[in-house]
Amino acid sequence: MRRVQIETLDATTSTLTLSLDVGLYPRDVLYAAAYVFLDRAYVLLDRQDSRFIVRFRSKRPLETSVFEAMAGEFENELLAQALRHQVFDANQRIIEDVVAVAIGGASAGAEPAAGSAAEPALIPLRGHSELDDTEDGFLTDPAGIARPFEPGKQGSE
Amino acid sequence: MSSGDLDTATVRLHRTLYTEAAITEAAATFEGLASFAVRADGEHHVVEISAISRDVDGDVVAEFCNFALANSARIQRSSDA
Repeated sequence: MRRVQIETLDATTSTLTLSLDVGLYPRDVLYAAAYVFLDRAYVLLDRQDSRFIVRFRSKRPLETSVFEAMAGEFENELLAQALRHQVFDANQRIIEDVVAVAIGGASAGAEPAAGSAAEPALIPLRGHSELDDTEDGFLTDPAGIARPFEPGKQGSE
Repeated sequence: MSSGDLDTATVRLHRTLYTEAAITEAAATFEGLASFAVRADGEHHVVEISAISRDVDGDVVAEFCNFALANSARIQRSSDA
């Protein structure tokens, strides 16, 4: 028996039923492979004795050859997801360490360490020398551009 | 999946593949389009779907099953993490 068996295929009703042994792939892999097809087909999973049953009903009418291709594609997806699952399991510790270092590095810059010099504020407080009128020249208007708009006087000077 | 008439349907979802939380969440998503009653029957959750809206362009029951599957996959993955 093939790993994934086509049980039924009926192009007139747009349905395809596959079965596979429950010991072939973990349930997570079956979920992940089925998930990939949710945009193209209605997928219903079931279990009968020692086999998973996967029922597809296409959302659009398809030819028999396309359904056969879909069965092969599902089998490919099972393999791909199984490998992905395996790689993730093998590298889970490394992934967690990398994420921990990244989060630790990001949070380290959020608050200054005790005893270190205070960082300058992003928005200076009022009364601070950076907002002092005598320094920024806002009210003294040395360039003479702060006059109010008066329509009758435009272009008179 | 079976349907008696256009307004009702019965879906049997295997308990090892579909969690009750996933089914309940999917039912909540579609509550404006149909009424759902879930009960256990051996190895399956039996979902009685009634008052299915006729005004919807699409298959409410099949979409509900897709949502239940997607929710089950998500819940399973988050419980493994």
